[in-house]
Amino acid sequence: MNFIKRAWQNVIFKKGRSFLLIIVMTVIMIFIMAGLLIRNAAMTTVNTTKQQVGASVTLSANREQAFKKMRTSTSNDGPSATKTRPKLTMPSVKLKDVTAISKLAGLANYNVSVTTSANASSIKTITTSSNSNKTGGMMGGGPSGNAESITSTGDLQITGVLNTATLNAFKDRTSQITKGRALNSSDKTTNNAIIESELAKENNLKVGDTIKIKATTTSKASDTLKVVGIYKTSQSSVGLGPQQTDPANVIYTSYTLANQIKGQTGKVDSATFTLSDPTQKNSFVKAAKKIINPKQFTVTADDSTYQSLKQSMQKMTNFANKIVWLVAIAGTVILALIIILMVRERRYEMGVLLSLGEHRAKIVGQLLVEMLMLLIVSLALAGIGGRFAGQALSKQVMSSVTTETTTNSQTSHMRPDGNGGPSGNQAPSGQPGGNRPSGQMQQPGQAVKTSDLNLKISAVTLMQLGAFGFTIIAFAVLLASLNILRLEPRKILIG
Amino acid sequence: MLTAKNVSYWYDTEENSLYKDVNLDFEAGKLYGIIGSSGAGKTTLLTLLSGLDKPRRGSILYDDTDIQKIGLTQYRNRYVSIVFQAYNLLPYMSALDNVLTAMAITHSTHENAADFALTILSQVGINPELAHKNVQKLSGGQQQRVAIVRAMCCSAPIVVADEPTGNLDEVNTQEIIRLFQELAHQQQKCVILVTHEKEVAASCDVQYHLQNKTFQPVA
Repeated sequence: MNFIKRAWQNVIFKKGRSFLLIIVMTVIMIFIMAGLLIRNAAMTTVNTTKQQVGASVTLSANREQAFKKMRTSTSNDGPSATKTRPKLTMPSVKLKDVTAISKLAGLANYNVSVTTSANASSIKTITTSSNSNKTGGMMGGGPSGNAESITSTGDLQITGVLNTATLNAFKDRTSQITKGRALNSSDKTTNNAIIESELAKENNLKVGDTIKIKATTTSKASDTLKVVGIYKTSQSSVGLGPQQTDPANVIYTSYTLANQIKGQTGKVDSATFTLSDPTQKNSFVKAAKKIINPKQFTVTADDSTYQSLKQSMQKMTNFANKIVWLVAIAGTVILALIIILMVRERRYEMGVLLSLGEHRAKIVGQLLVEMLMLLIVSLALAGIGGRFAGQALSKQVMSSVTTETTTNSQTSHMRPDGNGGPSGNQAPSGQPGGNRPSGQMQQPGQAVKTSDLNLKISAVTLMQLGAFGFTIIAFAVLLASLNILRLEPRKILIG
Repeated sequence: MLTAKNVSYWYDTEENSLYKDVNLDFEAGKLYGIIGSSGAGKTTLLTLLSGLDKPRRGSILYDDTDIQKIGLTQYRNRYVSIVFQAYNLLPYMSALDNVLTAMAITHSTHENAADFALTILSQVGINPELAHKNVQKLSGGQQQRVAIVRAMCCSAPIVVADEPTGNLDEVNTQEIIRLFQELAHQQQKCVILVTHEKEVAASCDVQYHLQNKTFQPVA
């Protein structure tokens, strides 16, 4: 144990040198700490957001097959068929299929969507300049795309869902409940509805009031809806082209009520399943495809949010890894050079110890203990300073990564085919093929919202830093000690 | 106790050997003095006897065992204490710590090491106050005495010293010689001094004069 005492005596005696070494080590440790913090935070963020973001799988009508069917029927009709327009029939999704899929493993939650239109009986709808000239508000019929239903229009868009909380519009806070409550599965088979705040203001409606609407697709007299919540949306419009309507005219109801208004039962336009783990999407889709009739329906997975986030986090992790390794290598080289110089300066001392019969291993051990003592101080300082350096670095990197990812995200949403992604059929409500629940259209830039990484210094991080520090000094001391190990005491002391 | 058997040593070529086939015997309980002119190879012999270097030919035997078989580090650690001309003290320690460190490394058998070291240091004029000072704050003579005490305090049966009184005044020289004599005669150690001072050599029990590449006993 004498070499430990000697190490302590040396560190204390050479205060200036020890202080300088502490500074050098602290700088190296701070950079490694920053890298470790960013890497760990990025990995944690990937794992946690994987759970939060999930992946969505949408069950909807198979448009490709529907078009094929339409063309086949047109050619079978012979030359006379050219006189009439071909009809595109989009089948509705069966609820029993949705229920069966919802029982598959790995599902976090699911939602269904039925979109239709209705005319306001007891209230005034919001009229915008773009649709004020039209006789009707918007086209009805929704995603079923029946030619007959397209001819019907209404003032209001009725969006029937299982619950509103899982709709993207509400998840990304584009729409927010301001009064009352959101719709949930307990509203099934009720006439409860939530309306937009502007529509409520225009008609002096409050939670608990009732409104009357008339279906455009059936001859049913009218339905009375009870307002259970009021939401505010920042969306500028719903739908595209001539079917565009003011978002204030969108009323959310239970899907059962929307079906009733639309005149159908046991069917929905589409269903969206959110998976708890995006990596399970392929197996989920495979299992779901066994349940549905692939000639009529299609199951598409959308994990673009997760992929986008994963990509940005991977960049961050790679960057942090590079920092850690570059600093570790540079640190080892710098420390090794310093220690080599220090050892050269202390050759005589080593010679004395060798002449006394001290084992070379203990001489190397003394150097290692000296460095360890300084490292402990450096680790404490790096623990304090590393977080600040990490925050500064992560902000810089995150801002560039976020900008890049947002740009990519926007590019993917502006694809020429009009599809924003695998299931992003962003057709306007009421249009054929608009098989995505209203409010669920993914917004550009939504993919990455982790502008700040949560840089936490944990015991594990400190242990990782300690391990890095120890490895660096061990390697540096070993490099420097090669000189000592080949020393002959006579050459040092007398030569 | 310690034997140089057919020892030859050269630095560059054998033709320029410092000495060839040297045979010397050193016994316990005696004080040996090796004298010779500068550059004759006195210090080199000392490095060979102390295991700091190996002979080019021949061997150094400790109790009839080649010290290379014992292992030079082990030999230096257990059987020999060295006093260097340049003191070779550890600069970041006090005089006392230098002695205690050497005692710890060589597994000295003395009980109450600190008290023992302070006693010996006092005997050579290093009082406790000086003993606790950093060695760099001591004079050359004082450092030389600390270096000698360091060798004396270790339990090694052989003590070799290279010009141990080179930096000392007459009074201290006499005191150091007395201590070496005590080590040899009372503690039954084999003490070998390399010196160019005839007075110091004269105080030794046996003298060897290195001349013309040979060691001649001085009557």
